[in-house]
Amino acid sequence: MTLVPHSDPFVAAAIWTGFAALILTLLLALQIIAMRMMLRRRQRSDARALSRWRPLLNAAIVGEMPATLPPLRRGERLPFLRLWAHLQGSLRGEANEALNEVARRLGIDAYARGLLGRGSRPARLLSALVLGHLHDLDAWPGLLRMAGQPDNTVSLTALWALVRIDPQAASDYMVPLFIAREEWALSLAAGILQQATEPAARALTRLLPQLGEDKLPRALRIAEALHLALPAGVLKSALDSGSMPVVIAGLRGVRTPETLPEVRALLAHEDWQVRVQAARALGRVGERGDAERLVQLLGDREWWVRYRAAEALLELPALTRADLEALRASLTDRFAADMLSQAMAESASV
Amino acid sequence: MNTYHVVITFVTWFVLCFFVALNGGYLLLNLFSLRALHKRGQEQFLGDLPRAYSGLEPPVSILVPAYNEEATIAASIRSMLQLTYAEFEIVIINDGSKDATLDVLKREFALLPFPEAYRRTIPTKEVRQIYRSTRYPNVRVIDKVNGGKADSLNAGINASRYPLFCGVDADSILQRDSLAKVTEPFLRDPTMVATGGTVRVANGCEVSGGFLTKVGLPRSPLALFQVVEYLRAFLFGRLGWSALNGMLIISGAFGIFRKDAVVLAGGYRPDTIGEDMELVVRMHRTLRAKRQPYRIEFVPDPVCWTEAPEDLATLKNQRVRWQRGLAESLSANWGLMCSRNGGVAGWVAFPFMLFFEWLGPVIELGGYIFMVFAFLTGAISWEAFGAFLFVALGLGILLSASGLLLEEMSFHLYPRGKQLLMLGLVVILENFGYRQLNTWWRLVGLWRWARGKESTWGAMKRKGIGEEAAGVPPPSA
Repeated sequence: MTLVPHSDPFVAAAIWTGFAALILTLLLALQIIAMRMMLRRRQRSDARALSRWRPLLNAAIVGEMPATLPPLRRGERLPFLRLWAHLQGSLRGEANEALNEVARRLGIDAYARGLLGRGSRPARLLSALVLGHLHDLDAWPGLLRMAGQPDNTVSLTALWALVRIDPQAASDYMVPLFIAREEWALSLAAGILQQATEPAARALTRLLPQLGEDKLPRALRIAEALHLALPAGVLKSALDSGSMPVVIAGLRGVRTPETLPEVRALLAHEDWQVRVQAARALGRVGERGDAERLVQLLGDREWWVRYRAAEALLELPALTRADLEALRASLTDRFAADMLSQAMAESASV
Repeated sequence: MNTYHVVITFVTWFVLCFFVALNGGYLLLNLFSLRALHKRGQEQFLGDLPRAYSGLEPPVSILVPAYNEEATIAASIRSMLQLTYAEFEIVIINDGSKDATLDVLKREFALLPFPEAYRRTIPTKEVRQIYRSTRYPNVRVIDKVNGGKADSLNAGINASRYPLFCGVDADSILQRDSLAKVTEPFLRDPTMVATGGTVRVANGCEVSGGFLTKVGLPRSPLALFQVVEYLRAFLFGRLGWSALNGMLIISGAFGIFRKDAVVLAGGYRPDTIGEDMELVVRMHRTLRAKRQPYRIEFVPDPVCWTEAPEDLATLKNQRVRWQRGLAESLSANWGLMCSRNGGVAGWVAFPFMLFFEWLGPVIELGGYIFMVFAFLTGAISWEAFGAFLFVALGLGILLSASGLLLEEMSFHLYPRGKQLLMLGLVVILENFGYRQLNTWWRLVGLWRWARGKESTWGAMKRKGIGEEAAGVPPPSA
């Protein structure tokens, strides 16, 4: 047996590394077993809590509110909150109120407010949902603090709760925040604001004239997601803007014919994305006389402009199927004719 | 000390350090995954509750490339039609199938030729005809000349209507809520350009109506080994990289992409066998070069199930292809490696993939061969040889066990104690032969890539789900 002169440190290093791996593996195995046992225990205790409270909550939902409620034990609180919040989200109207009454009688509101300040992250998220469903005004300061946190899930959940509690005050607070926080996906912001469309619209309308061109596109997109009819003055200034994102966002917000001249002028814009949106806007608010303008766009070099122009033609009022057939037959540009055929086939199969 | 001994000592230490660095790297990724899964676990109950904010999910085009799928295509599409998502369309791309795939589609979905003004944003083989279902307005079929999976996906991108598209293998079993789960990061982060979901082994599971109804473990040892392998590869191989925004692979079996970002990168490359990984690496390279902020994220929830090969020949074929795909993807995007604006993808993930995944099999197998040779010739002692095996196997087992831990702390899909015990056993056993065999196959893949043989998809033997067309699934973590 020959030992390489430097093999000893190698053997020692290898053996120590191997032992470290072995010990870590054993620790992992123990951890896995412990986690499985804890999971089983938690599942059993959750099941016990749910079997006790589900019938009571179901009775409350169907209008059979028990005269007295059993005390909510300490270990039952979190599974109860989860069940309660789940039911709240699935129900509407009187059933929600009945569940709120059960929660208040059990002192859930105070318990959830306490969790907002000192609970774990999941507990804080859950309590924000609960307090939102409860329309709990006393939770406002705690939720505001939570809304200011850098953790997006935490802040958005708190904002959702705030808008449930006081839509007007929440809108005044949130609309500027949603416009400023570009890292928040627009769909999430709009999803939360949809719970307070009218106050959000008022807040947005107040803000729009004050916004610079950097913030305006996002604000206009929020307005679009909320299906708001914007004042013609705001739209006209957006459509006259030199900034492409502002013009595009403005065109997306066109819902009434007051801005038709501006929209028509943008059909010939050099940026194809503007032409796309102009064609769509014309489809929404255009007149029969705009058909010729859209026919021009059917020959555009950009596929999406041709497609939206064809769709817009189909949406124009007073253009019958026969008119469209005749129009298609008259087209000399093959690309334009193909596009109109596609749009007509699509609308026929819907 | 003579030169011979110096060389032996150097190589011995190099091999030991390689094994420690490789497994240490993965253990580090494991830590990132632990953190990500812990956070996800905290929010999990939000997913169980009615959504606090929803209704504005971006519409998705599901692209289904199909080549000779007559036996399974109708069932696959029917199950996809039942996905729970607000708005989606299904675009099936019949890639010049030689069997009756198109006839089956025509019959089952009442297809009629559709006068589509097809746009060629990305060049593809000739499109013969586009059909639209008269039963389901959101189902279209593109019949095109055979050009391979990447070419089919490109044709699908050209025909897709929506801003997001999802590439799906025709034989994948999807969870009903797959789309909702995998599009969720796009709602959260406006810079998201791609997301991929976890692929799990379907062998041993019960499937009904195209959906997985009961999770179980396979009986075949080979498939069992792959269960643990997929846990390792997805739960920390990808989740760890995702946490660092350095994920270079999204499995072709199920991934969602923002169409404009893919078109900007040039679409799928038809001349590569691992088109899914190649696209993701190229997206990193393109977006980094343009200094465009972006994120590519991994969704750890099991969203897609696939049938794993249960015979050695099929498995070998698959692994050889994966390695070739990996080699092609890295070599085609060499520009990302330590590039000026490369970030984590260029400075960490790419070199890691290069040294540990691409060249790894050479060093790994070379290490085993060298140690055996050195032991047999008396250059190293039996203690040194034994210690090497001890550390190589010990680290391998540790790595697999950590995959199992992640599974237990996140999804516990295998609820019975017996199943956990079986997986624990597999965690140990797979290190005695299976992993070494895999390394050998990867070496073969590397050799075939180096010889520049034409990239083709070999026929895959399947038991229950049909012909395999998986992309580049897990690197052997």
